[in-house]
Amino acid sequence: MYGRVIGITIVGVRGHPIAVEAHIGRGLPSLTLTGLPGAPAQDARDRIRPAVESSGLEWPLRRIVVNLSPGNLRKDGPGLDLPIAMGVLAASGQVPGDRLSRLSFFGELSLRGGLVATPGVLSVAIAAARAGLDGVVVPSANAGEAALVEGVRVVGARGLTEVARFLRGTWHPPTPLAREANEATRHGVDFAEVRGQAQARRALEVAAAGGHNVLLVGSPGAGKTMLARRLATILPALSREEALEVTQLHSVAGMLDEGGLVRSRPFRSPHHSISLSALLGGGSGFVRPGEVSLAHHGVLFLDELTEFRRDAVEALRQPLEDGRVVVTRVAGSVEFPAGFTLVAATNPCPCGYEGDPKRQCHCPPHRVELYRQKLSGPLLDRIDIRLVVPRLSKRELLGETVGEASSPIRTRVEEARARQRHRYAALGFPCNAMLPGPAARRQARMSSGGNDVLAGAVDALSLTGRGFDRAIKVARTVADLAGAEEIAAGHMAEALTYRMSLSEGSLARAG
Amino acid sequence: MRADGAADRGHRPAAHRRRSRNRPSRWPPGFVGGEADRRALLVLMALRGISPLKLLELADRERTAAATLEAFRGGRAGSDADREFARGLDPDDIDRALVACGASLVPFGSGEYPPQLENLEDPPAALFVKGRPLPPRERAVAIVGARNCSELGRELATAIGHDLATSGICVISGAARGIDAAGHQGALDAGGHTVAVLGCGIDEAYPRWSRRMIERIADSGTLVSEYPPGVPPEPYHFPARNRIVAAMCTGLVVVEGAEGSGSLISAEHALDLGREVFAVPGAITNPLAHVPNVLIREGATLIRGVDDLMRDLKLGDGRSGAPVRLDLTVAEQAALELVVGPVLPEVVARGLGVSVPEVLPLLLGLELKGLIRSIGGRFEPRLKAAT
Repeated sequence: MYGRVIGITIVGVRGHPIAVEAHIGRGLPSLTLTGLPGAPAQDARDRIRPAVESSGLEWPLRRIVVNLSPGNLRKDGPGLDLPIAMGVLAASGQVPGDRLSRLSFFGELSLRGGLVATPGVLSVAIAAARAGLDGVVVPSANAGEAALVEGVRVVGARGLTEVARFLRGTWHPPTPLAREANEATRHGVDFAEVRGQAQARRALEVAAAGGHNVLLVGSPGAGKTMLARRLATILPALSREEALEVTQLHSVAGMLDEGGLVRSRPFRSPHHSISLSALLGGGSGFVRPGEVSLAHHGVLFLDELTEFRRDAVEALRQPLEDGRVVVTRVAGSVEFPAGFTLVAATNPCPCGYEGDPKRQCHCPPHRVELYRQKLSGPLLDRIDIRLVVPRLSKRELLGETVGEASSPIRTRVEEARARQRHRYAALGFPCNAMLPGPAARRQARMSSGGNDVLAGAVDALSLTGRGFDRAIKVARTVADLAGAEEIAAGHMAEALTYRMSLSEGSLARAG
Repeated sequence: MRADGAADRGHRPAAHRRRSRNRPSRWPPGFVGGEADRRALLVLMALRGISPLKLLELADRERTAAATLEAFRGGRAGSDADREFARGLDPDDIDRALVACGASLVPFGSGEYPPQLENLEDPPAALFVKGRPLPPRERAVAIVGARNCSELGRELATAIGHDLATSGICVISGAARGIDAAGHQGALDAGGHTVAVLGCGIDEAYPRWSRRMIERIADSGTLVSEYPPGVPPEPYHFPARNRIVAAMCTGLVVVEGAEGSGSLISAEHALDLGREVFAVPGAITNPLAHVPNVLIREGATLIRGVDDLMRDLKLGDGRSGAPVRLDLTVAEQAALELVVGPVLPEVVARGLGVSVPEVLPLLLGLELKGLIRSIGGRFEPRLKAAT
């Protein structure tokens, strides 16, 4: 007696259809799984029999072999419970086999036969649509998520009984609604809440408009975290494809609480004690996306950058460079998208009060030097905008009116992004920050006034080659925000105020 | 202010330090008579458990260095620990180390011993000197202040050091980081003479952070210490070091100093010795302006910058050349006038009635012209703009 159904297993963020074959033969009652099942799939062996029996179906008391193919792909995750159970039911003739070849099954079973919400359903539905299947059977709790995918019928079942009745044609599942519950931008924060900090507000607007990474340097309590959190609210709205990518990653990570399409840009702020695999993705067996991927199309905020492990900071280079991260395992490598805007924050010195007019810094110079050396290197090269965030006095705060809200800022940012997309349409760069140095210099359209300012700054600010390219890119964004074709002198000068070489204080001391 | 003038105010910070009549204040004539005395002196200088004042009393009784050391060894003076320590010291070792580091011993009473130190109530029995001969008091001015100074303070101390050195005045300080280092640096940059008084053995470059600068001073200026080679820096050495700084100069400039700072000690010594004290004022909210403001309140001469100091010291007409001519646009000029103290860019923008993106280029222009500096997210005027 033989049955065959289609299941889907998730590798990285992608679903892979697999065949689940079941054979019932003579011998002592047992269930054997073959075909490289991971630990969660092995768990399924003991879970499925009670689930089947609780659902009023019969468990064949014979020797059962279930094979998952292709045999070279490691199958992980609890989503294989349902296809294995269906394979056994098909082999024992308890469900009709005619529709099985056009459907795929995915979901974790409870001992009582219920289907519980399972991470990664969105990826499963996308894989089913791509494989040209007619439909997917998933837990009803995840049906709204699966319904975001067009071109595949979604059957949301509450348990094994409903799946069996559906296959027999005695139960007609409701058509699930594509839930876009998170449609509204729901950050819960807004730039209107920020008092003062005009330069930082402006710098973040420029960062959002050009996709630039940001370094915020400031004393404790200056408002670095508050500002970083609000950057996500002024980034352009997610397109549908971007939203699907973000939702898929959150789905795979099991972080989609409401099951709908994520329409707001993610903001992730991992603690500095984070492990390398939690940051980049990993885990034993099933490879989970890390913080860099959960921040995909959003903001990754690293507070107290100097406190992060050196290898973790160094490992950010690949995602910052390519917008993706590759996690390599013995069994093969898994790739996750990881295109985020980085916002890093740090104190100016170990005590945090250097440059503060009211508090005195007590750090000996060599400690400040050491502290800053932790920041140096390749990561800083990828950060175009560097800014000191002053700690405001009560008087300064009270003198400020409430700032501009996020939505008008976002409108300007979107206009600036549209100009960049138009300009780089042929080159395939999404925004100014992604341009390599030579391309930036070619594409900049610098006015003679802008050139004069930059030439003057090279000497006066001892600008390095990389600093030169960064200034051009940021100036291009400032010009885009102003709707200008050419980079004028004023645009260049504004861009240069965001340079802040970290060593300037200590250099002045040494000299 | 002069010491006598200050006494009228009835609020002398260092009144308790005034010389008592019963105490000796000079080393006995012939204290270092021969080679035996010289060798004994090397050991006496290396003793840690006895202050110069105590040693002076003892010397008054014993009359020569050799006899004083014998008093120690014989148990007639000092503690057991001192004796133990004195026994472990070999004058030949100290002498060899002295030769190795290129310094020489200048005992009290010798021709090279700076006479201005004799004003002290506890003059060191000897100095260790390396480099150029010490300048006469009339040609030396001290610059002291906070170690954790501000950029403005650093800039000012450097300018004062530079201008003094250019006028042929020797700059004296303690080689600490911050204001001390800036004062030395200004003099070095001008190619002038500068003297660093160390709080450790003459062969050690402490603070280590200033090692390079101390080496430069040894090359072109003078290093001075009352501690023989091998003596590590101890916290109590530095206040003692300050009395030598104060004694060696004709005037002492305090640039910045927070409450409890050592610059106050230096200034008190200077007042005790009748040296003139100059202080650069600061905002009452500025913690670094505490010491100078206290000194000004007590009668120190207020100086607003290099020019005031040069005029008071009769070293120039008080104008450091023609005012710098700069091509500022009307907008830059207006922005510059709004940068008073550390201000936020939005404050300048509001004053000019323009947006922040419009004011940032103006501020950068002023920064590139060296008129303002950006610090901690705010902008403040630089010295050139202030005078």
